[in-house]
Amino acid sequence: MAAGGGGSCDPLAPAGVPCAFSPDRQAYFALASTDGHLRVWETANNRLHQEYVPSAHLSGTCTCLAWAPARLQAKESHQRKKRKSEAVGTSDQIDLLALGTAVGSILLYSTVKGELHSKLISGGHDNRINCVQWHEDSGCLYSCSDDKYIVEWNVQTCKVKCKWKGDNSSVTSLCISPDGKMLLSAGRTIKLWVLETKEVYRHFTGHATPVSSLMFTTIRPPNESQPFDGITGLYFLSGAVHDRLLNVWQVRSENKEKSAVMSFTVTDEPVYIDLTLSENKEEPVKLAVVCRDGQVHLFEHILNGHCKKPLTSNCTIQITTPGKGKKSTPKPIPILAAGFCPDKMSLLLVYGNWFQPTIERVALNSKETHMCLVRDISNCWAPKVETAITKVRTPVMNSEAKVLVPGIPGHHAAIRPPPPTKEVETKRKLGGNEVSIEERLGAMDIDTKEEKDDLLQTNSFPVLLTQGLESNDFEMLNKVLQTRNLNLIKKTVLRIPLHAVIPLLQELTKRLQGHPNSAVLMVQWLKCVLTVHASYLSTLPDLVHQLGTLYQLMESRVKTFQKLSHLHGKLILLITQVTASEKTKGMTSPGQKAKLVYEEESSEEESDDEVADKDSDDDWDEDEEQKESEKDEDIDEENEEEDEDAEEKEENGEDRDGASEKELNGDSDLDPENESEEE
Amino acid sequence: MVEEESIRVVHCGGSELNFRRAVFSADSKYIFCVSGDFVKVYSTATEECVHILHGHRNLVTGIQLNPNNPLQLYSCSFDGTIKLWDYLDGILIKTFIVGHKLHALFTLAHAEDSVFVITNKEKPDVFQLVSVKLPKSSSQEIEAKELSFVLDYINQSPKCIAFGNEGEYVAAVRDFYLSVYFFKKKTTSRFTLSSSRNKKHSKNNFTCVACHPKEDCIASGHMDGKIRLWRNFDDDKKYTYTCLHWHHDMVMDLAFSVTGTSLLSGGRECVLVEWRDAAEKNKEFLPRLGSTIEHISVSPAGDLFCTSHSDNKIIVIHRNLDASAVIQGLVKDRSIFTGLMIDPRTKALVLNGKPGHLQFYSLQSDKQLYNLDIIQQEYINDDGLIQIELTKAAFGCYGNWLATVEQRQEKETELELQMKLWMYNKKTQGFVLNTKISMPHDDHITALCFCNAEKSEIPTLVTASKDGYFKVWILTDDSDIYKKAVGWTCDFVGSYHKYQATNCCFSEDGSLLAVSFEEIVTIWDSETWELKCTFCQRAGKIRHLCFGKFTCSKYLLGGTEDGILCCWNLLSCTLEWSTKLNIRVMEPDPYSENFAAVSQSSEGSDLFVFKPSEPRPLYIQKNISREEVQWGVFVPRDVPELFSSEAHQWLNRSQFYFLTKSQSLLTFSTKSPEEKLTPTSKQLLTEESLPTTPFYFILGKHRQQQDEKLNETLENELVQLPLTENIPAVNELLHTPAHVLPSASFLCSMFINSLLLSKETKSAEEIPDDVDMEEEKESDDSDEENDFTEKAQVTSDPGLEEDIIHQLSKSEEKELRKLRKVDYSWIAAL
Repeated sequence: MAAGGGGSCDPLAPAGVPCAFSPDRQAYFALASTDGHLRVWETANNRLHQEYVPSAHLSGTCTCLAWAPARLQAKESHQRKKRKSEAVGTSDQIDLLALGTAVGSILLYSTVKGELHSKLISGGHDNRINCVQWHEDSGCLYSCSDDKYIVEWNVQTCKVKCKWKGDNSSVTSLCISPDGKMLLSAGRTIKLWVLETKEVYRHFTGHATPVSSLMFTTIRPPNESQPFDGITGLYFLSGAVHDRLLNVWQVRSENKEKSAVMSFTVTDEPVYIDLTLSENKEEPVKLAVVCRDGQVHLFEHILNGHCKKPLTSNCTIQITTPGKGKKSTPKPIPILAAGFCPDKMSLLLVYGNWFQPTIERVALNSKETHMCLVRDISNCWAPKVETAITKVRTPVMNSEAKVLVPGIPGHHAAIRPPPPTKEVETKRKLGGNEVSIEERLGAMDIDTKEEKDDLLQTNSFPVLLTQGLESNDFEMLNKVLQTRNLNLIKKTVLRIPLHAVIPLLQELTKRLQGHPNSAVLMVQWLKCVLTVHASYLSTLPDLVHQLGTLYQLMESRVKTFQKLSHLHGKLILLITQVTASEKTKGMTSPGQKAKLVYEEESSEEESDDEVADKDSDDDWDEDEEQKESEKDEDIDEENEEEDEDAEEKEENGEDRDGASEKELNGDSDLDPENESEEE
Repeated sequence: MVEEESIRVVHCGGSELNFRRAVFSADSKYIFCVSGDFVKVYSTATEECVHILHGHRNLVTGIQLNPNNPLQLYSCSFDGTIKLWDYLDGILIKTFIVGHKLHALFTLAHAEDSVFVITNKEKPDVFQLVSVKLPKSSSQEIEAKELSFVLDYINQSPKCIAFGNEGEYVAAVRDFYLSVYFFKKKTTSRFTLSSSRNKKHSKNNFTCVACHPKEDCIASGHMDGKIRLWRNFDDDKKYTYTCLHWHHDMVMDLAFSVTGTSLLSGGRECVLVEWRDAAEKNKEFLPRLGSTIEHISVSPAGDLFCTSHSDNKIIVIHRNLDASAVIQGLVKDRSIFTGLMIDPRTKALVLNGKPGHLQFYSLQSDKQLYNLDIIQQEYINDDGLIQIELTKAAFGCYGNWLATVEQRQEKETELELQMKLWMYNKKTQGFVLNTKISMPHDDHITALCFCNAEKSEIPTLVTASKDGYFKVWILTDDSDIYKKAVGWTCDFVGSYHKYQATNCCFSEDGSLLAVSFEEIVTIWDSETWELKCTFCQRAGKIRHLCFGKFTCSKYLLGGTEDGILCCWNLLSCTLEWSTKLNIRVMEPDPYSENFAAVSQSSEGSDLFVFKPSEPRPLYIQKNISREEVQWGVFVPRDVPELFSSEAHQWLNRSQFYFLTKSQSLLTFSTKSPEEKLTPTSKQLLTEESLPTTPFYFILGKHRQQQDEKLNETLENELVQLPLTENIPAVNELLHTPAHVLPSASFLCSMFINSLLLSKETKSAEEIPDDVDMEEEKESDDSDEENDFTEKAQVTSDPGLEEDIIHQLSKSEEKELRKLRKVDYSWIAAL
């Protein structure tokens, strides 16, 4: 893991804060901030795992850090005979973290225990530590410092194993070869040491400024035919302070070539570098370079020999804040570190401020050359102590969320017009027995006109209502619809022109979905419209589609008293029919009305029969349909229930009521039938 | 790459941590808890597991610190052994074999070589408290057969036993009585509360007991939420008790603080109550702890408390009632309704967690990541309260959408259902509620599935319900002019002959939707929502339904309740094959054609891995678990493994995890346990070496001096003190120039005599010598004065030793006189 240097005023000090992902699964991210605090974050849930303040954090700030290789614990391996299963604990435990400080001491911090494990001082460095590296196998730690020395520590005894002069200037970076037998060190020039003898094996030119990072990029030589001695043919990468080029070098058998094989160009000084090792010849090396300007550059390249031209990045990742409105422009959020996930297909990004960084896993898309992620980190500034302890995350529930309750459009599938073939069928069916729509409309118009003449205009507002519906004038509609006078409602409904019926129903539906108080008033209107204009409605071919919402609404609202409303509906039907028949016996009704009723009834009956015949073909529809129809009746009955008394007193339209009840029956039959067909 | 080993079933997520009280180490740095067959050592600062002590062969039932060495820990287990551990290094020191099933363990500071355990010897439900003498021996395994019986007919739970006042008595509670056994008097007093006959006191049962560490006071918790403080219980008649009542439900556990000034109690209310000075009015609360408090323990240092909760967590609490750390295992409190899912974003296992929450559990690190609060209502834990349950959840569109269904049913007809659709907001990196649908169906939702086809532009969700319908929900843009918003609306409602919809599943490419209606499978076109065809095998209700993947995408698999597994070919609309297999779990592997099916038989559960194209299974593992397997899921591997053998290939890209009825999470692994352990030589062992600080220089020196002094006094109480400087005779002998000394033979007897002095005589002797010296120096002191000082010396001696001194004085006087003579003579010779 590469780690940048600490913040100091030295112009040649590397930029960025020392930070590193834990090895293997990158479960943790350690960051030593400039205030001397070491913070360890859990990458999976972005939670502060622990915070540690070294005792000398102000004088000896942390300049570099490195995770120890995973310590494999003796695990729950015991096999139980009874259950035939064994337990696996947390596999490998990552524990020690080595921190190099500005005063030359090295701290070993245990993240499991949350305390300082040991301190390496004696015989070590007397100046700022620039880099610490763990040896994978031997349990040794290597450190280099401004005092020009490289020290090999025995971590088991916390003593210096070996100390040698690494360079004539300060040694700024170290890297151990994949086979663990060689060590790269860099001040301004890069040297390759044999660890056993501590002799220089190769020299490389290096950079003009101190090298801040060194990394081996391959573990196998490019041509596998030659015998591999562990180091020859391997590539490594170096980045330096104030240098926008990352150089790639190759360790060669002949000692001639000292210059870089190729280079990568980035936009600013590299702060954090991570790469995926290529394990064979075909697999490209993936490189993620975090620059001081907060961008991440991704490179994907198969290392194979020379390339004079510096390579540019395949993909650049930037993060910005969302610009809210016109006033605030989006601001870039600096990326602090980036690490490849084990699957090599996604990248862990650490961004924000070092006090409260956000860690996110971003899937890489090889095609895109520029990724700009918009992230809102404004709420990250408040320390989330509560979350840290309870481990509970509360997803946002705000008022912008859509709420669907039964009856609201969208809760149930919208009723679409039936497919054309069926429509033709129904049209034919209706057309067979009935006069044309035009004729019927004419007849109705005459009716209403006559009625208009009969009654006083002051106790009804058909004109006002129609105008309101046409102009969609809210106030005008309010004036009419908010009345509580049942007689008035009835009369108004009787007189409105037929073309206003559907708009009125739609307006009523809309209002029914609103406040319950207004819905109570609307129920009266609705009932009235449905009873009075049932005959008209039943003639409409696209009725189901037009009144689908209303139907669903009614269905959902009366669902809870289904049985009661069934019974009530049946009774009402009986009573009204009985009274109607009695009345017709007793007195002669106006010819016109009687004619209309008979016509409608006969046609209804016929259509009913037809429907029944048709339905019997597919047996499964039958009882469903019946139920549905009952339900539908009951809705209307329900509505009627409330002003039963008023209805009984009313003598004028009694006959008509009775008739329309039957019609309604027919009408409601139509709805579910169409619906089921559609299904 | 990987050697071919047999595939074995391994345990994940650990066992429950809340089985017994947790124990703190003496310095409060570590906390110990039992977990299945293991004892786990956690750091109180970082919540990390530092060590797992394994060695017991059965459930560990009790742990206690060794009172004589606070760096050691005793544990007892159902396997009949008591083990002594060094918890810092995680090493087993000793095993004491007792032989009986041990249910709990207690240690006492003054009873050095014995511990107390609860066993049941004869009858299965009669428990006794016995003291076990632990013989001293250097061998690793020792038989401890010396049992002495203390109390009989006690409660099995260790919460019902408490040792009080430095082990003077032991209090045990059971049903309606409290019995106290006094070790010194060897008597038992028994105090009974009015029993269940009286309705008012019907819930008087004792539930737990705790003893005051300093005073004679016993606190007992009761079923009705009362805490009684018993005093004067050494007298059968004059005993008193006072009541503290805050809990409205059973008191689960009690604990006194180290000093005894406060009493902690907890119960189902999820509130930790601290009673200060045993007074009803001085109460402090720590509320909203999430779930029932099962155990409370106090650190020996007194700075920390901890509570174990029913949702498998331990909360470490500071003395000032601030929660400082949570050690959380896989939540196992409640039944799992949602099944196992994988969050595509975090790759975490998702299932029901805390009440109303979804828990995200990282399988890689075997740790809980977080709980997502879906219901967002304060959880009121009360008996008989019907809670809102999170019953279904599903992730869609690469983790961008989460659908959750919650329900609450008080009575048969009063079902409350709510479906929430959460969108993952990338900007804020969290879920945001997009649409809330109340009563999406009229009856229970049986299945929920997203269309996860890559090409589908519109996110689509299907819900199937017992009300006979399935609903298709799509994301629509219902932006008006004011705000741009997307929300979910119902697009289609389908039904089939009023049968209950039991399952739904989208095909891989999202073009077909299969919905099972009891025995019948219906296939719908997802473009037009037309019913394409139906399959019916008349073999019981369909329990599982799934489309094949990749090369097997033309197959549809269905498992029925009658134990038939059917595979239909969608191209020919025929049954391809069927087999008799009583399937409990059927899961497709997202990365291959494979399916895993777990069947249930009387002996246990068996695993079958197969491809839909072939009726012959690829792999069979019998008896993966004795319990019923309830849920399973394939978890994609981060890095694919390379198994070459055919039987193992199904594990290449994914790993199969399953959850049994007792909520243990299991998986399959090929690695042998030895492979997972690295030899100790490879482990990075580093010595703890911390340099000295200025404080150390001050304190350390001080301590060193003290230590030295102590050492000196211990090692050579008698010899060194007189030898070095306290015997003037010797001093004189050594300091007098050689040429003035008398002959060596003359001085010898005196010198030897001075060395032989005993402690009692020392003072009586030294002083005269001193006096002699003074005399010598000053030489004008009178005899009288000399006598006076002698007398004063005698009186200043402790009175007890007086007669001894008197006894000795006769023989001494002679000596003294001799000495005097000698002294005078040789000095006079000068």
